[in-house]
Amino acid sequence: MKRLAAAAALLLICYGASAEERNPFESNDEAIRIGSLLFAARCAACHGPDAKGNLGPDLTRRWARGESDESAFRIVRNGVPGSSMPPSVAPDDELWAIVAHLRSISVMPQLVTTGDPDRGIALFEKECSGCHQVRGKGGALGPDLTAIGATRSREALVGALRDPSASVALGFRAVKFIAGGERVEGVVKGEDAFSLQVVTADGELEAFPKRGLDGLERSSKSLMPVFDATKLPDAALEDLLAYLGTLRGGQRNP
Amino acid sequence: MRVLYLVLSLTASAALAQTGGSAELGISAADIAAGLKDPTRWLTFSGDYSGQRHSPLRQITPRNVRRLVPQWTFQSGTYARGRGFETTPLALDGVLYVTGSNNYAWALDGRTGRPFWEYHRTLPPDLTYGASAPVNRGFGILGDRLFMVTLDAHLLAFDRRSGVVLWDVTLADYRVGYSATLAPLVVDDKVIIGISGGEYATRGFVDAYDPATGNRIWRLYTVPAAGEPGGETWPNVESAARGGGGTWMTGSYDPELGLLYWGTGNPNPNFHGADRRGDNLYTASLLAIEAATGKLRWHYQFTPHDTHDWDSNHVPVLVTLPWQGRDRQVVMVANRNGFFYVLDRATGELLLAKPFTATTWAREIGADGRPIVLNEDGSDGCLPDAWGSTNFNPPSYDPRLRLFFVSARETCASFHAQAPQYVPGQNTVGGVVWADRDRAFGALRAIDVITGKMKWEFRYPQSNLAGVMSTASGLVFSGDQEGNFIAFDAASGQELWHYQTGTSIWGAAAMTYMLDGRQQVLISSGSVLFSFALPD
Repeated sequence: MKRLAAAAALLLICYGASAEERNPFESNDEAIRIGSLLFAARCAACHGPDAKGNLGPDLTRRWARGESDESAFRIVRNGVPGSSMPPSVAPDDELWAIVAHLRSISVMPQLVTTGDPDRGIALFEKECSGCHQVRGKGGALGPDLTAIGATRSREALVGALRDPSASVALGFRAVKFIAGGERVEGVVKGEDAFSLQVVTADGELEAFPKRGLDGLERSSKSLMPVFDATKLPDAALEDLLAYLGTLRGGQRNP
Repeated sequence: MRVLYLVLSLTASAALAQTGGSAELGISAADIAAGLKDPTRWLTFSGDYSGQRHSPLRQITPRNVRRLVPQWTFQSGTYARGRGFETTPLALDGVLYVTGSNNYAWALDGRTGRPFWEYHRTLPPDLTYGASAPVNRGFGILGDRLFMVTLDAHLLAFDRRSGVVLWDVTLADYRVGYSATLAPLVVDDKVIIGISGGEYATRGFVDAYDPATGNRIWRLYTVPAAGEPGGETWPNVESAARGGGGTWMTGSYDPELGLLYWGTGNPNPNFHGADRRGDNLYTASLLAIEAATGKLRWHYQFTPHDTHDWDSNHVPVLVTLPWQGRDRQVVMVANRNGFFYVLDRATGELLLAKPFTATTWAREIGADGRPIVLNEDGSDGCLPDAWGSTNFNPPSYDPRLRLFFVSARETCASFHAQAPQYVPGQNTVGGVVWADRDRAFGALRAIDVITGKMKWEFRYPQSNLAGVMSTASGLVFSGDQEGNFIAFDAASGQELWHYQTGTSIWGAAAMTYMLDGRQQVLISSGSVLFSFALPD
């Protein structure tokens, strides 16, 4: 911890930053490294070691929503009144370093691919948009992908296409049951001891009392088809990645 | 029924008039000690000193509870995001005295939920622990005075009729990390309080104050000074002086023994134990304290040298049990560490310790009362997470069924320590917890207190922190993280009724009282207080 403090002090000397609007440490690898240590020591207990949320919210989505480093800085400085998020008295540089770290794990660099985004759009509309929305267009069964290029690395996107069941986010977990004699398949959006809130396979919002359900089956498998090399050859994959890489949501131009 | 209660309340007034002499009219210490005998009253956090939170009322039953309907809702307008509206209202003469998040407080009409007065404390902008848990769990009452603690670590006395603050004393310096959130416990001529802030470099204590003046009568530190018994369980004076051991949940009281039973919180830093080698007395313990003097009579440490944030800030439950052929006065605690304990409350002797959730932490609690620890950090299987197998949310106890009802949390965590910097006013949890959310769920469990075995459970999709209340008619009221306020059959665990309140029942436990001959059941959730009754 002493090393950490010394490193933070060094940063202060080197940069002498103040509470300005632009993060003085944006894309600064050393500051990002120190920010990650500070985050682990001060923030991870509530926000999770990967900042994806635990008791406190997921912090990795704010940039994709178009929010700035400066607004993140202000929240860390002032806390969130009426919540468990306390204000901080740490020096500005330490807070900017934490913000730089968060941004570095939240915002992916522009995806590099040899593919053609126009061919990618055509592919997307044929194979994906039945379940995924981009800027308000498409189905509702799968996650919205408007900002997917800014929030997922190339490896993560390839993994999600080739092996969609490897990791299924909460809110997209598959369920099957029989209700009123009819077979229902969908993803669970909400649940309590008495009811299930589901988006059905045809994209409708429906809620079911648990008492009336038969044969409730939960699956760890994603409802998304596996896009293996047969279904999506490497060249087509690159085209699709080229299009997905353009989807950077409401993020401001860097 | 109305006539009967009118007569009862007249009798109470006459009795009061006869006692005369004592300082003030209003509620006497004997009234509080009488517990729930007067069905129109709820005068202390748990309803009575035993901590059983078990009402003798029988109007709402397993047969008719399906007809329970809201009477009114009170929108407090203040919210503790990520936490709960954790208060238990006090009820007296049809008026409810209610504390809220962010140090609001009200006197409400029990019939309509309309306020008589509202209090709001202007809190300093640099609150420490109080900013991260801006909650409050209720008033204490004596005479015509109400007592409430604050997020900036003060104790206030109010005139219950006007809401005017009569005195205001400082408990500790909030800038260091202290705060206060519990409902004060009024015992005889003393207001007993505890302190929050074990996530900071603080030193816990239990205090007694004079209700008339606010003068402090005694203080018991939960971490001994060098040279005092227990001081040898800390490596040095510095580590003990910042050793934590908060006392942030209301204790219980045995008037015959004159003993308070009070839980203590985690040692500080929470997860990093290397700077505080030793058992770290009296953290994560139950203390038996002489109410008259503040002297420690005995202690039992549930989690020696805790590195999981497993505070023992639970409501201790006092009952008489037949134990191996004779009646024993016992105190029961379902602990954050996953074990359910029964101790002799005169001596502190351990009578029973059985797990009530899955845990790989300890093989068992040994004959010497110490856990036989197998897996300290979760590297060898799941441990209860930092919120524990249960938390401060009150349990309840049905003496007829001999069942202890508790919200149990099944979680799967591992703990990773990191050395913190000890800066006053900055938290020093000292590490990170990894938890597998997919392996977490919650359950209301009924524990047979003689065997420690589970009689029944009702499962929830997520782990939860709802308190519990039971009634003599055979009902248990609790709630879930998804927002349902639920009534169960106490004997079988069958769900009989539920109402979706809109957000988690978090920390709060229900209370119940008679008003105009109708049994009211109150629960707080989010920023709203709900009152339920059977239709007229």
